[in-house]
Amino acid sequence: MSDLVITKHVNEKNCETIDFYIQKDHGYEALKKALTMTPAAVVDEVKKSNLRGRGGAGFPTGMKWSFMPPNPVDAKGNPKPKYLVCNADEGEPGTFKDRLIMTKTPHKMIEGMIIAGHAIGSNKGFIYIRGEFYQETRIVQKAIDEAYKKGFLGKNILGSNFTFDLVVYKGAGAYICGEETALLNSLEGKRGEPRLKPPFPAQVGAYGMPSCVNNVETFAAVPYIIHEGAEKFAKMGTERSGGTRLFCVSGHVNKPGVYELPMLLSMRELIEVAGGMKNGKKLKAVIPGGASAPMLTAEEIDVKMDFDSLAKAGTMAGSGGVIVMDESVCIVEAASVLLKFYEHESCGQCSQCREGSHWLARMFHRIENGKGVQSDLDYIAKICGNMAGQTICAFADAVTGPALSSVKKFRKEFEDHITQGCCPHKGPGHRHAHDHKESAHV
Amino acid sequence: MSNTTEIEIKMPKVDLNYSSFKKPVQVSADPAAKPNPKVTIDGKVYDFAPGDTIMQVAERYKIHEEIPRYCYHPGMPIAGSCRMCTVEVEKAPKLMTSCSTPAADGMVVHTRSEKVVKSRTGVMEFLLTNHPLDCPVCDKAGECELQDYNFEYGPMTSNFKEEKRVYEDSTTKKLSDKVTLNMNRCVHCERCVRFTDDVTKTSDLVMLNRGYKKELAAADEERGLFNDYQGCLTDFCPVGALTYNDFRFEKRVWFLEKKASICDRCSKGCNIEVHSEKDVVYRYMPIFNEQVNQHWMCDEGRSSYQSLSNPLRIISPLMKYQDALHSTSIETLLGSISKELQSASSVELVVGTDATCEEAAYLKEKMPEVIKNIRLSYYNGTNNVTTSKDDQKLDNLLRMKDKTANTKGVEETGLTALKNGEVSSEIAILFRSGRAGIPKMKADQKLILWGVWTQEEIKALPSKNILGVIAGLSTIEKIGSFKNTDGILQKFAPAIVHRGNGLSVKSVVSAWKSLK
Repeated sequence: MSDLVITKHVNEKNCETIDFYIQKDHGYEALKKALTMTPAAVVDEVKKSNLRGRGGAGFPTGMKWSFMPPNPVDAKGNPKPKYLVCNADEGEPGTFKDRLIMTKTPHKMIEGMIIAGHAIGSNKGFIYIRGEFYQETRIVQKAIDEAYKKGFLGKNILGSNFTFDLVVYKGAGAYICGEETALLNSLEGKRGEPRLKPPFPAQVGAYGMPSCVNNVETFAAVPYIIHEGAEKFAKMGTERSGGTRLFCVSGHVNKPGVYELPMLLSMRELIEVAGGMKNGKKLKAVIPGGASAPMLTAEEIDVKMDFDSLAKAGTMAGSGGVIVMDESVCIVEAASVLLKFYEHESCGQCSQCREGSHWLARMFHRIENGKGVQSDLDYIAKICGNMAGQTICAFADAVTGPALSSVKKFRKEFEDHITQGCCPHKGPGHRHAHDHKESAHV
Repeated sequence: MSNTTEIEIKMPKVDLNYSSFKKPVQVSADPAAKPNPKVTIDGKVYDFAPGDTIMQVAERYKIHEEIPRYCYHPGMPIAGSCRMCTVEVEKAPKLMTSCSTPAADGMVVHTRSEKVVKSRTGVMEFLLTNHPLDCPVCDKAGECELQDYNFEYGPMTSNFKEEKRVYEDSTTKKLSDKVTLNMNRCVHCERCVRFTDDVTKTSDLVMLNRGYKKELAAADEERGLFNDYQGCLTDFCPVGALTYNDFRFEKRVWFLEKKASICDRCSKGCNIEVHSEKDVVYRYMPIFNEQVNQHWMCDEGRSSYQSLSNPLRIISPLMKYQDALHSTSIETLLGSISKELQSASSVELVVGTDATCEEAAYLKEKMPEVIKNIRLSYYNGTNNVTTSKDDQKLDNLLRMKDKTANTKGVEETGLTALKNGEVSSEIAILFRSGRAGIPKMKADQKLILWGVWTQEEIKALPSKNILGVIAGLSTIEKIGSFKNTDGILQKFAPAIVHRGNGLSVKSVVSAWKSLK
């Protein structure tokens, strides 16, 4: 098995402290090395490593860094600051990898951010942590304080002329603030609503300045790339995507948790690694990359877990949140729960998303309780077709993921709900627990 | 004034949400000059200025009405959230919003392709899912963009089988004395929020919550809406979510006759559309004028229509008889006051600065022929304004300190300001159009009132010694021109027919002359 990039020491005691990180994990050695390199060389190294963004979209990180303007100036010709933003607003249902990094090895992320700051020429970084991560915020803040004390943050880091400051910002707990431009709005104190693109954050980002937004896991992989070399990192992955990935396995498996694994294993192997199906039950469906990723059926799980293979299979690698569902699960209920989440979390800016997510959630809820009609199933595809790809951000596409895939792959189950007038798993008279408020009053 | 610009108020196809100041790009005559970038829209090639979005290019060539929109408004920042204005751009993978997509040289745009129409139908279907469809009781019906676009693009039927979203207690929420919110009708275009953020800069409207629960509310619930342009919110609200209290349930809009005029409530001279039925005015709405008022008008001006239909307005000549004023004919009145005027030791005519340029010039020329040795002056008397130099802005948008419409124009006729703001002759003739102030006077000053007066105003006069009242026409009932505070001369024609026996200045003066 290949080397572990991030989770090598996460099960050891005091692994979140700076002393442990320095003594056992080559802590801040990559930073020392990076500061002797030119920023362009660091960006090149990251490009060579084939590191792709771990937040969900899988955009090549080195490329993103190279989009940052080298010497931005404002209208009067004064130099503009550049900002580095860490997206720690981990809210995708089924995803809990950033949380592990922040609690167990926050210094990896911090070191990665300082290196990234050096690479893109930024002197200020923000870590945007979702509001519910209270404990994580404290741990990260403590780690930042430790790094300041040791001279890894602040003015003239390690004797170089590079200055870098880190600020922790707590969000208010909105899923949409994980979208980078909504995050930037929220960071500025505005409503967390995605911005129109262009301009992209590399031109107009936080506070109107060029900004670079990356995921926690992306930053945490950077020290390894610099320390061990880009080739070694690239070799661990596929041709177009380097390194390992953190998979968050949850649901009906024996050992749910975060697993750092090479991307070339299949879903079937991943479920085996996670201890196999719980109680020996049969697998029914699996969501491979967080709630927004379309579901896979039990027949489709031989797909490899890298970005490209999953995309070819009609789903996505997303944030690495693998939700395993066994035969006892009512897919209609599962989809309905997910859609209720999306209905609640849509920012409400675009017409299609605001009204569509609401409509779908209510429709699924109705079908789940046996009040659906046959024509609903065809209409779901029409609604989704009117939503996907038509809005400012990708949220509407995310809504259609579970909605379309569940109807397409488990149509029989939906039809059973409609023809039997109740949930076939639970029998007549049963109403699912996570009930909508009965009236549509807001 | 050398920098005078003369504008004729054109009877427009007024649509606040479409009118734009964008003009076609000039094509340089010099063949060596760098050619303008070009974009093809629906098969025709248009030059554009760098930085234009597709919608703005369309605005330049007046083809923008082809593109439906909710959130886009030419007077506000771009939001790009309603997704109604999507167009198909060749080589782009997705449909693009024309309001926010910058035009590029060589771009080929289709505003009505099958894909585009399908997308718009989709948006309409989504917007209508939770819309109450209470058009029969909605004041916006007839001028509602949801209705119009549904007629054009909308699905004729809906498959929405769920219960409609209902905001609690918000079908008739009073945001202020002037504006009522019906949240159930809202399509969340947020024009109103952007208007208060970026145009009035008062930020007194906000969106609460998110997603399908997103709700419009006053930022300060106790204070409510407090900007001075609340009526504009109701103008550009594409649906009946925000309605103007003065107009609520007053009239179905398709009965209204629309004529252009000028608002005479301050020296800005906002261009307005007078909406009336059978010569009863129901509301004013602003007309887009790039140089004067852009798309907006203030609430004070908007509600000034009420003074026209004030039941206490004097609309017939009144003559003093046995210590009381009685309705009479203009000839009788003029005959009676002429005797008094001839025997008076001194007479002065005070022209209010709400008179039109033509009236002021006519009075200055003809009145000395009618009454010998008459002294003429002008008087403003609003907000301590004496001459046009005292005028100043009250906010960053339109409102001016001078509450009369034509101080500049009256000054230019050569009249001088009333000395000390006080009449001193034995008989003073006060001419005003209902907006100028009343000069100071002695308690027994002999007065002749001319123009637009109301019973309250007459009762409030310091002197009760009124010889007669010559009823005149108000601004929207007459023809003329005003010169606004920026020196722009604006002509206007009658928007409604005067409902009483009031007469124009010319008719009065000629009647007066024929008397002799």
